[in-house]
Amino acid sequence: MANIELKNVTKSFGKKKALNDISLQVHDKEFFVLFGPAGAGKTTILKTIAGIELPEKGLVKFDGEIVNLVEPAQRNVSMVFENYALYPHISAYDNIASPMRSPLYKKDEDYIKERVMKVAALMKIDHLMDRLPARMSNGQRQRVALGRCLVREPKVFLMDEPLAHLDAKLRHFMRAELKEMQANFNTTTIYVTHDYMEALSLGDRIAVINNGQIEQLGTGDEMYYTPVNEFVARLFGEPEINIIDAEFVLDGGNKGVRLLNQIKSFDIPEDVYDALAATGKTQFHIGLRAIDLNFSFERQSEHDIHGQVYSIEPIGNKAVLNVDVNDTILRTVSPPDLNAEMDSDIFVSVNMKNAMFFDAENHELVVRHNQSQYTKAVK
Amino acid sequence: MAKLILKNVFKRYDDRKKKKGGKLADFAVNDLTITCSDGEFVGILGPSGCGKTTTLRMVAGLEEITAGEIYIDDTLINHLHPKDRGIGLAFEDYALYPPLTVYDNIAFNLRAKKMSEADIKKEVMRIAPLMKVEELLDMKPAALSGGQKQRVNITRALVRRPKLLLLDEPLSHLDGKMRQILRTELKRLHKEVGCTTIIVTHDQLEAMSLSDKICIMKDGLLQQFGTPYEVYDDPVNVFVAGFIGEPPMNLNKVTITEEDNILYFSFPESSVKIAVPSKYTKVLKTGRHVTLGIRPNDLLIAEDGSPVKIAVFENLGDEKRIGIRIGDEYLTLITSDETLYKQGDIIRIKVHEEKTHIFDIETGDKIRA
Amino acid sequence: MFSENQSLLSRLIQNLLLIIYSIFALFPLFWMALITFKSDLQMFNTTFFFTPTLDNYKAVLIGTDYIKTFIDNVIVSGGAVLVSVIAGVPAAYALARFNFKYKEDLAFTILSFKFAPEILVILPLFMIYQKLHLYDTYLGLIWVYQLITMPLLIWVVRGYFEDISVEVEQAAELDGYPWYSVFWKILLPLIKPGLVASALLAFIFAWNSFTFSLQLSGFNIQTVTVASLRYIASDTVHYGQMAVAATIAALPEVILALLIQKHLVRGLSFGAVKG
Repeated sequence: MANIELKNVTKSFGKKKALNDISLQVHDKEFFVLFGPAGAGKTTILKTIAGIELPEKGLVKFDGEIVNLVEPAQRNVSMVFENYALYPHISAYDNIASPMRSPLYKKDEDYIKERVMKVAALMKIDHLMDRLPARMSNGQRQRVALGRCLVREPKVFLMDEPLAHLDAKLRHFMRAELKEMQANFNTTTIYVTHDYMEALSLGDRIAVINNGQIEQLGTGDEMYYTPVNEFVARLFGEPEINIIDAEFVLDGGNKGVRLLNQIKSFDIPEDVYDALAATGKTQFHIGLRAIDLNFSFERQSEHDIHGQVYSIEPIGNKAVLNVDVNDTILRTVSPPDLNAEMDSDIFVSVNMKNAMFFDAENHELVVRHNQSQYTKAVK
Repeated sequence: MAKLILKNVFKRYDDRKKKKGGKLADFAVNDLTITCSDGEFVGILGPSGCGKTTTLRMVAGLEEITAGEIYIDDTLINHLHPKDRGIGLAFEDYALYPPLTVYDNIAFNLRAKKMSEADIKKEVMRIAPLMKVEELLDMKPAALSGGQKQRVNITRALVRRPKLLLLDEPLSHLDGKMRQILRTELKRLHKEVGCTTIIVTHDQLEAMSLSDKICIMKDGLLQQFGTPYEVYDDPVNVFVAGFIGEPPMNLNKVTITEEDNILYFSFPESSVKIAVPSKYTKVLKTGRHVTLGIRPNDLLIAEDGSPVKIAVFENLGDEKRIGIRIGDEYLTLITSDETLYKQGDIIRIKVHEEKTHIFDIETGDKIRA
Repeated sequence: MFSENQSLLSRLIQNLLLIIYSIFALFPLFWMALITFKSDLQMFNTTFFFTPTLDNYKAVLIGTDYIKTFIDNVIVSGGAVLVSVIAGVPAAYALARFNFKYKEDLAFTILSFKFAPEILVILPLFMIYQKLHLYDTYLGLIWVYQLITMPLLIWVVRGYFEDISVEVEQAAELDGYPWYSVFWKILLPLIKPGLVASALLAFIFAWNSFTFSLQLSGFNIQTVTVASLRYIASDTVHYGQMAVAATIAALPEVILALLIQKHLVRGLSFGAVKG
């Protein structure tokens, strides 16, 4: 139970800057997710909080107290490592009991037994207690690692990609289980992941990390609906968001944007128009999520974009339909039983209400319709 | 371009290679019969150790066939040397020759055939644009990214104008985004080259999105052979049902009960019950235990449904996932409905009648109406 | 059926070859044990049939101070291995875990101690030892034996440390263990197979060392290898007594070699991290 604060933390490995002036505050009992691509510096942030890595510059504070010089053992944190880091020579029971047998967090054996068995029941690994890690599946090892983390009541749980090495199905169930347990955690948790579904599902707040810097910090809804730049927009959602050139047109009464060399421009909502006009620019990038593009095989309106079916990839409950419009590929989703020949004609309509506009030069978000509705939930 | 037929193909490794605890007469591939039509893209899908790679290697000629027959275009190829089978093979690991440039790597096989340099150039330049490797031709393999290496690898397999292209887990080393891009390109490539292609994979998403037909294997046995939509929409048994689809199909043990002449699926240790779709009423008897299979998308929130408590609510942007715990059973429901629920909320659910699957609890086979 | 017959046949041939090889390898040992029971008279005119006698044993064990040399050898070899373990394990840890300048050069230098023939360094060492009064002392021999034992131990144990994920140590630290407990409770059990095997091997190499003990000791301290020379007299060679000395000297090695087998099995650290 603690507030964790990082202030201007900087850290390099050799010439590579791993963390560049990171400042963030994690509130008491919050589930905070560090999200970003591989090598972004997420794990380094976690290890800096644990005290395993030391920052070159900047402060690490627990409840307002500077802990830069406090030994990892004394910080009272527990951590799940990405590679589980179980003790290979002792049983699952002893692995989980290990934090409570250390000189620092010593408990008597009766108490340990009670706690371990409780955690084991929670993680559904009671039957594995006598087993060595070498004789477990990855999913079981991961549960033991989580168990060793949850058995104590530390100031903060640090979890580094605990689900990354599980197959898609197990990950789905474990994510749901973590989410279910989360309500009873009552402890600050910092969770590292590169999977956007884990980030959206679990995080009270999310920090998107890239190249050792924070790109955006906020709730899942903010990230999804109002990403600060194209990088963040691309991280959330499957298939990836379509980001294409859009030209702002002002000819007479025609307030809109023109995409993909279409003759007809698209109408845009009033608030979006005002914001785009205020920039004084005419070239933007437009971000359209796959679910905001609809298709049909006959022209429905004069605004429809004419293209060809590039590929259809059924992925179970839906199919990813790629449409080729003058060599630009638009990703959209279709029902799984769609039957269409490749290269046949197709018409795409755009839901402009959900479009996001980015600056063509610095790739930052300019505006989206009803923007304040998504951001007012902040803090 | 060719038709491939496997007829009652068996494969058994000699006893020492068998896994520990294996039973006598364990077959790596057990009585496999499939037909891949000319120009088809066929996925062989299954968990590790199901015999899918063995099957591919038998087709390629890298593995002897214990029994059965393999034909390419009506020619029996059982005893043909791999190089005479007209096959292009791309393995999971890239296996490019490091000292050679990409061009030389691709040209390697053609040179072995003593083709003239001018012809080689023509052939390489014919395939290179299709796989988008033109710019890489002068580079050495070490300078390429994983995705590029795999492109070169596939180009090298294609340049020999094979009758049959065999791909063994070609995308499994790549990261998520690159995998998605190459998946689309493979699909386009197949459309353009039109070569009969077989891909072996353990990733159901890959098999679903690429293949015209999927052959699902488990323990050396063919489970189902059909189009992606067929295996998704009408799985023949509980294994296929659970293997295809992400998130997986809800598979729950239920008991058939009767109340006021209506049959219900009753969940053990709870009062939750779901009405049995009318088409099944003839084949199901009261008291029978069955496995009920419902895709997360086919579980619907409805006013007239049974009340259940939400255990997990996940807002994933494009969709919302709701987790429901009934006794020991766990169900996932996917909705694109905008409503935001909380853990502990009560919702009413029912099933999409047409999309309900029932499996025998012993054999795992689908029970059909 | 055909394939099963074939594999049976090939296994038969394999086993046959192994048996032939083991006879070939074990015969010298057997021969040595045999001649310990022969008198000098029967040494050359009998092969397998002779009148066994224990005279050679009596002569060696009671007639000379062979037992003292045996004990000296235990002290010197055991001491050398002990010092190597105490100094070598931390050194191996440092070489495995920390990054510092010239790390690989240092590691290679340590290994290169094993490359140079002993005879090459013996003369300068002899003079230095005289000056430092290390000549003919236990300390002196233990010290010089480090050239034999230390490189082996450091390189094997370093490999074991490298196999342990650094996260395992970090996890133990976060669990609340001080560094020495992390070492005793987590690291030591994991490197044990490597440590035991390399220590036993090092012991055998030290035990067999001849050049160093011949040149750097002689009066107060004598090792078994050097002592065996004694049975070559000016007029005759007492092969029987020499064989007794050699057999007794070889015994600890044979026993240790059997012990090593069990510990050479690696794989305890498998499964600690994701597979």
